[in-house]
Amino acid sequence: MEFGTIEREIFVEASPEVVFEVVSSPSHLQQWWPDEAHYEPVAGSKGDIVFGQHGNDAAVVAFTVVEVRPPRTFSFRWTHPAEEPAVPGNSLFVTFDLTPSGNGTLLKMTESGFREMGWDIALLEQQYNDHVTGWDYYLPRLVSYAATARVQQ
Amino acid sequence: MTAAVLDRIDDDLWSAIGDPTRRRMVDLLLADGGGTATTLSDQLPVTRQAVAKHLAVLDRVALVRATPIGREKRYRVDEAQLARAVAQLTSVGSAWDARLQRIKRIAESIQRTKKH
Repeated sequence: MEFGTIEREIFVEASPEVVFEVVSSPSHLQQWWPDEAHYEPVAGSKGDIVFGQHGNDAAVVAFTVVEVRPPRTFSFRWTHPAEEPAVPGNSLFVTFDLTPSGNGTLLKMTESGFREMGWDIALLEQQYNDHVTGWDYYLPRLVSYAATARVQQ
Repeated sequence: MTAAVLDRIDDDLWSAIGDPTRRRMVDLLLADGGGTATTLSDQLPVTRQAVAKHLAVLDRVALVRATPIGREKRYRVDEAQLARAVAQLTSVGSAWDARLQRIKRIAESIQRTKKH
């Protein structure tokens, strides 16, 4: 692992088109990450993602779409000051790369910018708690078959 | 939140679910809705005695609860305690692993729907 970059790969048994939709559309994003997502899935769109309920300690975090190339690449920057354009050095940069593989898609995620922004931002990243916790996190790793996972939803 | 959360981590709980055989056992108990040392050992490449020892470890940290049935004990996963363990893992583990698992689940669920 390169210092300051997080890289992950996961195989998804779904077409690149489906996976692309899930990683890029605001309605899906809020299913797997923040409580709310406001942006257009087009390059350059500026918006925000919200962690927590509005009003009560909600964290509103800037979110800018960088590249939208269905069904291969979706990337965005986040954590920049809301009034500033998102550029290297003031934001974390997340890229999803999708590659068709067998009967599914190899999804590669890279998050970089930690080195430029310092490790304080890594701590900050952790503070933006995913709203989904518990079973949703543990069960898919614990139980390898879908039947049980569905029961818990 | 990091330091505070780390402080709260229960070492025993961690080591209890840190063992692959015990994780597999919890997996089987969740899938089957419960089980005994015998039913578990039937599904695992370990002896009934070994399974019983692992169950004792899980019982000690309250991840499973036992009910006597005849000469055996039937075990079920304590979901509240597992959820606590989960919360701790979530705090410390990589947030992206969790997000990607959810992406995977959502995408695969959509894909299954499309096929039908």
